[in-house]
Amino acid sequence: MFRPRMVTGSTRGRPPSSAILDLGGVLERELPNGLRVRVLPERSAPTVSYYTFFQVGSRNERPGLTGISHLFEHMMFGGAAKYGPKEFDRVLESRGGHSNAYTSNDLTVYYEDFADEALETVIDLESDRMRSLRLTDEVLEQEREVVKEERRLRTDNSVFGLMEEQLESLVFLAHPYRWPVIGWMSDIERISRADCEAFFRTYYAPENAAIYCVGDVDGQAALGLIERAYGDIPRGPPPAPVLQGEPAQRGERRAAVRYPAQAPALLCGWRGPPARSPDAPVLDVLQVCLAVGEASRLRRRLVIEEEIAVSVSISWAWRIDPGVFLAYAELAPGGDPARAEALLFEELERVRRGGVSAREVARARALLRSSLLHELSTHHGVAHALGQAEAILGDYREAGRALEHYGRVTPQDVRRVAREFLDPGLRNVVVLEPERGAGGRRPPQERP
Amino acid sequence: MTAPIRLPPIVRERLENGLRVIVAARGGVPLAAARLVLRGGASLDPGGQAGLSHLVALAARRGAGRRSGAQIDHLVEELGADLGAGVDEDATYFGLSAPSEALPRCLDVLADMAGAPTFPAAEVARLRRREVAALAHDLDEPTVVADRAMLLATYGGHPYGHPPEGRVRDLSRVRRGDVVALQRRHYHPGAGILLVVGAVEGPAVLEQVRRRFGRWPAAGVSSPPLPPPAPPAPVVLVVDKPELTQVQVRIAGPGYPRRSPDYQAGMVASAVLGGGFTSRLMEAIRVNRGLSYGVRCRFATSGAGGLFFVSSFTKVETVGELVEVALDEVARFAEGGPTAEELTRTQSYLCGLFPLSLETHDQLAERLADLALFDLDDAEVTEFRERVRAVTAEDCRAVARRYFPGASRVVVAVGPARQLRRQLERLGQVRVVSARRVT
Repeated sequence: MFRPRMVTGSTRGRPPSSAILDLGGVLERELPNGLRVRVLPERSAPTVSYYTFFQVGSRNERPGLTGISHLFEHMMFGGAAKYGPKEFDRVLESRGGHSNAYTSNDLTVYYEDFADEALETVIDLESDRMRSLRLTDEVLEQEREVVKEERRLRTDNSVFGLMEEQLESLVFLAHPYRWPVIGWMSDIERISRADCEAFFRTYYAPENAAIYCVGDVDGQAALGLIERAYGDIPRGPPPAPVLQGEPAQRGERRAAVRYPAQAPALLCGWRGPPARSPDAPVLDVLQVCLAVGEASRLRRRLVIEEEIAVSVSISWAWRIDPGVFLAYAELAPGGDPARAEALLFEELERVRRGGVSAREVARARALLRSSLLHELSTHHGVAHALGQAEAILGDYREAGRALEHYGRVTPQDVRRVAREFLDPGLRNVVVLEPERGAGGRRPPQERP
Repeated sequence: MTAPIRLPPIVRERLENGLRVIVAARGGVPLAAARLVLRGGASLDPGGQAGLSHLVALAARRGAGRRSGAQIDHLVEELGADLGAGVDEDATYFGLSAPSEALPRCLDVLADMAGAPTFPAAEVARLRRREVAALAHDLDEPTVVADRAMLLATYGGHPYGHPPEGRVRDLSRVRRGDVVALQRRHYHPGAGILLVVGAVEGPAVLEQVRRRFGRWPAAGVSSPPLPPPAPPAPVVLVVDKPELTQVQVRIAGPGYPRRSPDYQAGMVASAVLGGGFTSRLMEAIRVNRGLSYGVRCRFATSGAGGLFFVSSFTKVETVGELVEVALDEVARFAEGGPTAEELTRTQSYLCGLFPLSLETHDQLAERLADLALFDLDDAEVTEFRERVRAVTAEDCRAVARRYFPGASRVVVAVGPARQLRRQLERLGQVRVVSARRVT
């Protein structure tokens, strides 16, 4: 559901220096109904990755119907006119493929990875459900229960999930990023079939979607197949404008989560810039300087030197509207959250005042380059990167330009964005307070 | 899906000190993946010192040769590389992922970690404290608690029965001398396999490996093979976590070791029963009843044995129903095996997707490491499709009858014991333990 831009330690990637991804071979087309299609033939492995991006996520929702984007993602596997209930995956698997999907704050994304000869089948399956999805009460009730279990898994029974939900609702008062992508439990229970039908007509119309096909294909033939399969799907009504009007934050906001956990934890967040801002890649560099790798500042200070935290990480996910720059620290049992917080902010102040060194920026660039190479080393990764770049930044070619952006970042830029976005007076803090009893007895512990 | 699976040209050699070296140069992204695999992992932990081999692997990165831990951090990360360490039940792994041009300097560090770790006392003590603290956090992860409870209940006192990360009480007792002793005994080139895969010049890599790893002195002892684990005593184990509103469930029984002739049939049978989105368990539990977000089953295979397990989760009120449906599906499969349609669909699924598991350098390095560690032939990869397609419905039924949990099953549920006991006691005697007892 949530895919941070920088996944450390992930294993995904392509060509060196600044041209990290050769997009010269992309065939692009916009059909008369508005559907955008991008095909990149790439013969290194006998597989194809086929992505469909819909420009809708929890950002497009309204209070009372939170979670509909994600619940609807589940409904897309419930059967359409040609391929009925339970047939989508069955047909795909029988042709040597598999599929999955995710929903984020901004987007809903579907993919199939498959052996090259299944391309026609995949196009048939995907165009069938975009044209003629069958929304039944039966499927809705099943998927509602499945999604409730998903919420229990990721949020209600997860320490981080509970804290993240609190943090986003501190950072945002009016913007839809305020509520979780999976939605509030009571809204998941309320969403009706009529809501889903209206949602489908509006947000799953071809002009709200884009297809990315990367792998062992004949580009022109693939374009022709896609054009024939999707060409007759009608446009839909225009989507409602996204709720904006987030008021300026005037001071620190705090929340506590009491839970029978073994140890405290700390989650802090700030409103960052939108993905299109030139500051977004600068924050990627800052993220690495602070918390990626053992030599990063927060890791050294909080985990290695002070031993107050077991782990520390930063999440900075690029979003269409201003997103959240988030620091998370899991404390050692018995650790003092106030002290951890003081140390964290002391380190951030050091960056805000003194900046980072050229050596730190070079280290960040090297790690970011490797991370991009990993991401772009599979058909799946390339197709996803193209779609993500177009959906969030407005141009799929941006997927090949990330290294240029990182190459321009200077230590002065890092200091400037730290000053601008990590203002201690505008921080949002969630503290996990371990509750005693009910299984939350203090565990045995050792002190440094 | 009928095209043969090809591996890049692979060079294998054994250095004079006994180290096995495997180099696969291929094109693709300008990255290199390296793995140093040492036979013997968590199963080497002496009694009362669960987690020692894990700590040794982590500590080897915190000072080696002339470099301190901090110097290694800076060197590796400034090259854009990632260097990790860990153990599983059978082996110790050092994993490196680096830009191709950075490989020589990273291999230099790797050679020191293997042959000349310095184990600075302060670093060892700090790491031990951090790992003990991390074990406390694990208690808050219901999936981790369930997996560990399953290992304990299935393998009991066998060396596979404790989590590789160790236990709080054991790890708290470990001293630097224990770390040094285990490293001296078990880190030696005769127990090692070094793999390099990626966009590299094969001969140059080989030359460097010979020069750098050839100096690693051949000493130490080979550990005797482990005995196979005894079959578990049937049990319904409830791990009490009163705060949970969703219960993690595992149903397990003994399986087979990695080199078993049942390997392919087991892979196909478990995929039909609980592999992809169309598996029987997924259909019965998620699609038809909305009981869970996910359910799967598989064979976990190790050197000396293995297990078969079903894993899922559901809200507290429906645990009894989920277990009952899962057991019914397991029994029904063992009775009748797959239908012809299920079998061919699953074979196509496995064969079509297999190339995706060899796409990145890291994936291929891991696959080759697995083959080398268990002395398996490359044909396991190149003839994957033929072998999968050769599995018959009767093979699947036979493997299911032999291994799918029947009378000797272990059922684990993590959640509020009071409500769980009521729902599970018709499956047998329910034993309730605290989470701390199993992790």
